[in-house]
Amino acid sequence: MAETKEKSLSDEKPKPRVRPIVRLGIFLISHSFHFSVVCCTAGVLALFLLPVLAKNTYISENALMPGSASPMLSNQHVSDGNRLVKDLTNPNSKSSETGIESHKIIAQYMLDLGAEVSFHKFHPQMNQFHPLHFFSSPDSGKIQENYSCSSYGINTVGIIRAPHGDGKEAIVLVTPYNALKSGFGEALSLGIAYSVFSLLTQVTWLAKDIIWLVADSQYGEYAAVAAWLREYQTPKFSSLSTPNAEMCPDVNNLFELKGHSISGSKFSNSFRRAGTMASALVLKVRDQNEQFEDTISIYAEASNGQMPNLDLINVVNYLAVHRQGLRVNVEKLWSLLNSSWLKSLGEIFESLAKVAKSLYPKWKFGIPATEYVEGTATLASSLYYQALGVPTGPHGAFRDYQVDAITLEISPKFSLDKVWRNDILLRGGRLIEGVIRSVNNLLEKFHQSFFLYLLTSPSKFVSVGVYMIAFALLIAPLPMVAASLYVDANSSSNCSKGDSSTPSAITDTDEHSIAIRSWRWLNSAKLVFIVHLWGAIVSLLPYFISQIPDCSPTTSFMIWVLLSILSLLTLNSVLASPLACAKATQEKEWALVKSVTISSVFIGLGLMSVINFATAEIGALLMVPMCLLAQPLKLDVRAGTLRSFCRMICNLVLGHIAFPPAAFFLLKGMLDGFGNANVGDFWMWVESLWAWNSATYLFIGMVQLPCWVLCISILFHTC
Amino acid sequence: MEKVKKKIGSFSFWNWVTASIIFRLILIYFPKNLNLSSRPEVSTPLTSFRRLAEGYWLKQSFMSPYAGSMYHGSPLLLSLLGPLTINRIEGQPNHLLYSLVSVIADVVSAMLIRATGQNLRLAYLRSLESLDLVKQIEVSEFLFSGDIAALIYLCNPFTIVACVGLSTSPIENMAVILCLYGACSRLIPLAAFGWVIATHLSLYSAILIIPVIFLLGCGPDSPPRKLFLQRHQQKEVLNQSKLPPRFSWGPVIHFAFWAFLWSVYVLVLCGISLKQFGGLWEMFKSTYGFILTVEDLSPNIGVLWYFFAEVFEFFRNFFLIVFHVNILFMILPLAIRLRHRPCYLAFVYVAICSMLKSYPSVGDSALYLGLLGWFVNELADMQFSLFLFCGYVGVSLLSPVMHNLWIWRGTGNANFYFATAMVYACLQIVLVVEGVSAMLNHDRKLRNLITGKPQDAKS
Repeated sequence: MAETKEKSLSDEKPKPRVRPIVRLGIFLISHSFHFSVVCCTAGVLALFLLPVLAKNTYISENALMPGSASPMLSNQHVSDGNRLVKDLTNPNSKSSETGIESHKIIAQYMLDLGAEVSFHKFHPQMNQFHPLHFFSSPDSGKIQENYSCSSYGINTVGIIRAPHGDGKEAIVLVTPYNALKSGFGEALSLGIAYSVFSLLTQVTWLAKDIIWLVADSQYGEYAAVAAWLREYQTPKFSSLSTPNAEMCPDVNNLFELKGHSISGSKFSNSFRRAGTMASALVLKVRDQNEQFEDTISIYAEASNGQMPNLDLINVVNYLAVHRQGLRVNVEKLWSLLNSSWLKSLGEIFESLAKVAKSLYPKWKFGIPATEYVEGTATLASSLYYQALGVPTGPHGAFRDYQVDAITLEISPKFSLDKVWRNDILLRGGRLIEGVIRSVNNLLEKFHQSFFLYLLTSPSKFVSVGVYMIAFALLIAPLPMVAASLYVDANSSSNCSKGDSSTPSAITDTDEHSIAIRSWRWLNSAKLVFIVHLWGAIVSLLPYFISQIPDCSPTTSFMIWVLLSILSLLTLNSVLASPLACAKATQEKEWALVKSVTISSVFIGLGLMSVINFATAEIGALLMVPMCLLAQPLKLDVRAGTLRSFCRMICNLVLGHIAFPPAAFFLLKGMLDGFGNANVGDFWMWVESLWAWNSATYLFIGMVQLPCWVLCISILFHTC
Repeated sequence: MEKVKKKIGSFSFWNWVTASIIFRLILIYFPKNLNLSSRPEVSTPLTSFRRLAEGYWLKQSFMSPYAGSMYHGSPLLLSLLGPLTINRIEGQPNHLLYSLVSVIADVVSAMLIRATGQNLRLAYLRSLESLDLVKQIEVSEFLFSGDIAALIYLCNPFTIVACVGLSTSPIENMAVILCLYGACSRLIPLAAFGWVIATHLSLYSAILIIPVIFLLGCGPDSPPRKLFLQRHQQKEVLNQSKLPPRFSWGPVIHFAFWAFLWSVYVLVLCGISLKQFGGLWEMFKSTYGFILTVEDLSPNIGVLWYFFAEVFEFFRNFFLIVFHVNILFMILPLAIRLRHRPCYLAFVYVAICSMLKSYPSVGDSALYLGLLGWFVNELADMQFSLFLFCGYVGVSLLSPVMHNLWIWRGTGNANFYFATAMVYACLQIVLVVEGVSAMLNHDRKLRNLITGKPQDAKS
C-alpha cells in the first residue's frame, strides 16, 4: 500500500519525497519479521515482569476511613450470636425434611431484633444457553412452566432501616446456609452475621439500610443469591410470572405458623426491598482448616473477569490485617509455588534489580525471589479465574447489577472450645462491622479506585495501564505482518506480470491487473468470513445437542465434532467452491489469506481484551505465534533450509497445541495429571462456560477455532 | 459489505435480493432478543421509533407532537407511519407492519440504486467510446456497478440493522436515492420531490441540490470536459456531437420550479397537520432547530455529543457555528473539483454529512456505502481498502462493547465509547480522502491514455 503511494507520488515529481509517517510505515512493514520477534518476546517478558511491577494498594476513596472508629461489637452481641449457633446446631431444629424449622428460627431471631423479615421463595433456574447474555442487560429471566413443589428454596431476608438514612441505599450481607445439611461452619457464619446484625439494630450512625440475606444454598449458593437479586432488581408485574410456589402446602404452612406466632409484627409475606445496593459482602466460614492461624480468603472474580472496585478489597484487607490480626489470602495456583524455573526466574530478576540498584541507588524495583514466585502464582490464578469467566462465588451475581461484592471465607484454626468460638465470632464480627461502617460512610457508589486490575497478593495489584502493555506488545506485530504480507502479495504479482509481458503490452496487462489488484483481498476475506460463519454455527450447535435427552458428555462431544465437520464441508461446498476453482491458481493467494486472517485475529483479540482481558491474553499467547508463523508446509519442504525446517516443526507443534480441545487437555493434564483425562471433560467444561454466560465460550468458538482452521488451511495450502 | 461483488458471477442478483429480504424477515421475528431499536447506533433522537410512537400518541391525545422534546421528526411521518406504531396483528411481533414498511423501503432504494447505477455505467461507457478509449480499457471487464451497489446496500449489515432496528433512516435514505435517481434519469419532478422530502426529513440533504443541479445541467458522471476537447484537438476534427453537452439552464430552472412547488405543498400539508399545535414555526424549531443546536447530548456514534457536553455554555453558540460551517466550507471546493462527476460528488457530500451531522446513525453510513458501489470500476485501485474494511468491521463490533462497558458494567467511562466514535470518524475521513484521490487518479489515468504519455503502472 505504502509502496504504491510512494510510486504515485514519484510520478508527479522527479524527486521522491515521502512523508515521514509513510516512511516510518514502510520501515516497520519491511522489517516486520524482526519487529514481530522483538515485540512478541517483549510481550511475554512483560507478562512475567508483572509481579515485579505490581504496586501496593492504597485506599483511594477518602470517605471510606476504614478503622477510624473503634469497633462497637461487644461480648453481649457475641453471646447473642452464640445463642443462634447453638439453636441451629441443636438436633431438634433439623426434624423437618425441608429445613423449614431452621428458617423459622432465623426469622424469629431477626424479628426479635426489630428487623423487617420476609421469606423469598425461588425455583432454581436450569442451565440455559444464552451465550450473548453477558452483553445484554440483566432481565427478569425466562419464565419456566414446569415448576414443581418439590424443588424450591427459601431465602430469609431481614432488613434494618437506617435511623438517619432516607432508605435510598442499602448494604447487603449474605450468608449462604443449607438447612438440610449444614455444617458447623455455616452455622458459625450465621452467628457472626447475627452478632453484627444485632449490633446494627442499636447503632445510631447507620445511614444505609442493612439487608441480611440468608441464602438457601441447597441448589447452590449462586443460584439462591441470583434468584433473590433478580426479584429485587427486576420485579415481575405480569400475573403469569408469579410461580405457583404458593400452592405448595409446605410453604403455606410456613406462613400460617408465622402469622400465628407473631401477630402484628414486622413480618410480611410480600417481597421486601430497601434502596439501591452500595455493596455486598458474602460471609462464609470453612469447616476444615489446615492452617496454623486464622486466615480469611477473599474471592472477587465475577462473571467474565469483572472485578469489584479495588477499594472494597483494600478496606477488607486493611481491617483484617491491621485491626483484627487475621491473615488475608487470595487464590493461588499452588502447583506453581514449587516450580523451580519460576524460582530461578525470580532469582534472575532479583539479581538484576541488585545490579541496577548498585548502578543507581534510586532504582528500587526488585522483589525477593520467594515473593516473586508467590506473586506469580497469585497472578496466574487471578488470570485463570478471570479468563474462565465463571464467578468464584455468590458475589458474582451482584456484579451483574453493578454492585460491588466480594466473598469472605474465614478459615479458623480448628478447635472446639468455647473461648475459641467466641474469639472467632468477635473478630469476624468486628471485621464485618468495620467494613459496613466504612461503606456506610460512602457518599457515592464506589468509583474512585480501579475496576480493571489483577491481584498479585492481597495488598498488591497490577492496574490496567500496566498489564495492557504486555498485551499490546504481544499483538502489535499482527497489523504490521498483515500489512507487509498484503503489500508483498500485491507487489510481487505485479512485478511478475510486468516482467513477463513485453513493453508494448504493458498497458493492457496493467489495466487488467489494476482492475483486480486493489480488491483482490475480497476472495480471502470471503474465505475468512465463511470460516467465521462456521465458527458461529459451531458455537450454536451445543444448544441443539443439549436438547437431546440422556446423552453422556462423551457422546455429546462426538456429536458436536461430527456436526461441526459436516457443517464445515457443507458451507465450503455451497459458498466457497467458485472461489476454489477460479482462484486457486492465483499466486501468493495464501499470503492474502494469511493477511486477512491476521487482521481478523487482531480485531478479535482487541475486542476480547476489552470484554475480558485475561481470556484475550491467554488466547494471544496461543494464537499470535500460530498466526505469525503459518506458512504452507510445501514451501518449507521445498526450501529445505534449517530455518524453514524449524518453522515447519514450530508450525506443526502449534497446530496441535492451539486446537481448543487439545489446549484444554494439555492444560488440564498439566494441572491435574494426564491419568484421568476423558473426552467428555471438554464437553462438561464447555457446558459450564455457556451455562455461566462466559464470553470465553464465544471467544473460543468465534475467534480461536476459526483462526486455527484458517492457519491449518494455510499450512496445507497447495501453492 | 463489498464481499458480494465477486459472488455475482456465480449467483444471480435476484437470489441475493431474496436472501437479504428473508434474512430481514427472520430478524424481524426476534426483535425482543436483539433489542436493536434501543441501541444508540441505530436510533438517534431523530430516527428513533419509540419517539415516533410517542409523538403519534401525543398527537392522538390532542397535544403538540413536539411537546416534551420527545419527537423531532416530520409531522408527515406521523401521519403516514404513526398508525403503524399502534397497529398490531394477533400472534405476530408487535411492530410487524412498520418493519415491513422499512423492508419495502430498503428494497425500493436498492432497485433505484440499481437503475441509477446502470444509467451511470452506460454514461461512462458512452464517454469512453467518444474518447476512443474502449480498446485500451477492457470494457468487457467492467463490473455491473448498479447490481453491485444495490447488493452492497441490501446486504450491508448497517442497512439491515437500521431496518430491523425500526429506525426511520430507511425512509430518509429512500428519499435521497429517489432524488438522485430522478436527476440521473432526468425525471425532474421526481428529483425535486425526492430532494424536498429528503431535506424535509433530514436537513443535511439540502446540500444535495448542488450535485442535482450539475446532474440536470450537464448529465451524469463523465471524465472532465477538457479531455474531450484534447482528444478532438488531436484528431483535428471537432465533432460537436461527440462532446458532452454544455451546461444548460433549462432543466435547472425546471427543477427549481418543481422544487418550489413541492416544498409549498409539503409545507401546506405540515401546516394543516400542525394547525392547532403552534403551526410551522413550532415544527421548524423542534426539527431543524433541534438538529442545528444539538440539544440532545445522549451518546451516539458521532463526535458532537461529547464535545458539546464538555464545552462551556458561553462558547456553545460559537462552536455550533464552527461545526456547521465545517460542512459548508467543504461544499464549494469539492463542487469545483468534482463538477464533472455529480453522482460522485453526491456520494462525497452524503459521506461528509454523515460524519459531521449532529445525530448520525449507522443508517447514514449504509447510504453512502451503497452509493460507493456505483463507482467500483473507477475506484478499482483505491488504496487502503483492506484497512478500511477491517476498520469498519472492528469499530462496528467494538462500539457496542464499549457502550456496554460504560453503561451496563460501569467499569468503563464515556471516553471509552467516544474513542470508538473518533476512530469511526477517522475511518470515514480516510474513506472520503482515499476515494476522492482514487477518483482523481482515475481521471489522470484517462488523461495520460489520451495524451499518450508513458503510462505509469502504479498510479
